[in-house]
Amino acid sequence: MHEHIQQRIQSIIQNVEQLPSLPDVVSKIINMVNDPDVSFKHVADEIAKDQAITANILKLCNSAYFSKGKEISSIDRAIVILGLKEVKDIVVIATTKSVLNKVIVGYDLARGELWKHGVAVAMLAKKIATECNQKTIADIAFTGGIIHDVGKTVLALFVQSTFKDILNTVTEKSITFQEAEKVVMGFDHQQIGEQVAIKWKFPMVLQSIVRYHHEPMNAPDDHKMIVSIVHVANTLCLMAGIGIGSDGLYHELNYDAIKLLSLKDSELEKLFADIPELMMKAKDIL
Amino acid sequence: MDNLLNIGVAQFTVAENPVIMRTILGSCVGICVYERNKKIGGLAHILLPKNPGNANPEKYADTAIPMLIQQMLKKGCKREFMTAKIAGGASMFKFKSTTTLANIGENNVEATRQALAKFSIPIVAEDIGGSAGRIIDFFLEDGRLKVKASGDEKIYYKV
Repeated sequence: MHEHIQQRIQSIIQNVEQLPSLPDVVSKIINMVNDPDVSFKHVADEIAKDQAITANILKLCNSAYFSKGKEISSIDRAIVILGLKEVKDIVVIATTKSVLNKVIVGYDLARGELWKHGVAVAMLAKKIATECNQKTIADIAFTGGIIHDVGKTVLALFVQSTFKDILNTVTEKSITFQEAEKVVMGFDHQQIGEQVAIKWKFPMVLQSIVRYHHEPMNAPDDHKMIVSIVHVANTLCLMAGIGIGSDGLYHELNYDAIKLLSLKDSELEKLFADIPELMMKAKDIL
Repeated sequence: MDNLLNIGVAQFTVAENPVIMRTILGSCVGICVYERNKKIGGLAHILLPKNPGNANPEKYADTAIPMLIQQMLKKGCKREFMTAKIAGGASMFKFKSTTTLANIGENNVEATRQALAKFSIPIVAEDIGGSAGRIIDFFLEDGRLKVKASGDEKIYYKV
């Protein structure tokens, strides 16, 4: 254990200003969408307060992945045509890109790779949720997919200086990369990500996705299903090499998560095979 | 690097010196075929071993590799001057061995070997298996292949 590194990470967590920030509008919108009594107008007004975000959101509404074929020129129209949940996910994409679209040293991810990974996991998680009769939470799976690795943006510098030790710990103890992060640095990227989600005032379910995406069976019972969805999506995207870094495939594909989702081998293979087409659709989001 | 071409998952490209082709691999296999006289190279990034029928041919080893080789032959490459290097085919570190998904890496490598053997193209270097992700750079000036995995770099020069 590198104690000085553990202390430095501890101080970053305690001094939340050092964690990445996000405009308040994001958590406001996420919580509004969860409120069954919310008015469309109220949500549209909240988004429209931020001119810079609004322009970007309208562009995303008309992208290949989100567009329903009709030109969208206002937030009001976007909510009517795409629905509240879809617009919420577009707000998340428009605002988190600057946090995630970075060079991630340590994990050896070139600029854009972590962002591409998040978008891929989001799209695949949404698809899995829809196909596993969990359509009502498909949008949460999408949001969770985007942000699940946000902890890597903070931990990267420390992984860079301890990488050899982490990899040696993986082989010596036969544990996963994320478990070895904890052994060597005292924290793993899931725990740091959870702190970021808390700072961003994201709901518990999103905190769980970030905190347990490599160990879905340790998530609170209420969240096991959705965490499993993101876990499977994450595994498939890594196997396809999308946003795979120096931690490679030194992770676990959790069998209980597959069982919980009742996914057959043939269905898993189909999801894996569909990844290239999904990425084509996402071209103008990336 | 101005001449860098990024090849995405389930894509293939044929190009000539001085291009460098790059792709990033997990369980997928990157097949780098080089024609040493013409300094023409082709890189295919396959996702799965066998095409179930009329699916996108670029995704599968058994359909992408013949397409890649045909395209090189069309550009005037001679089969006797062509060799291959392959990389990728990693597996999850921990998994239940009964899931077929877990064996995709190995199956991809096997299907790649078979497809290359059909054209009698020898594999002169391979960097496969394990659980590492790999970033590979294929240099068409001399056919060398640089593999970056788990923080280390290796270069395979043989063509």
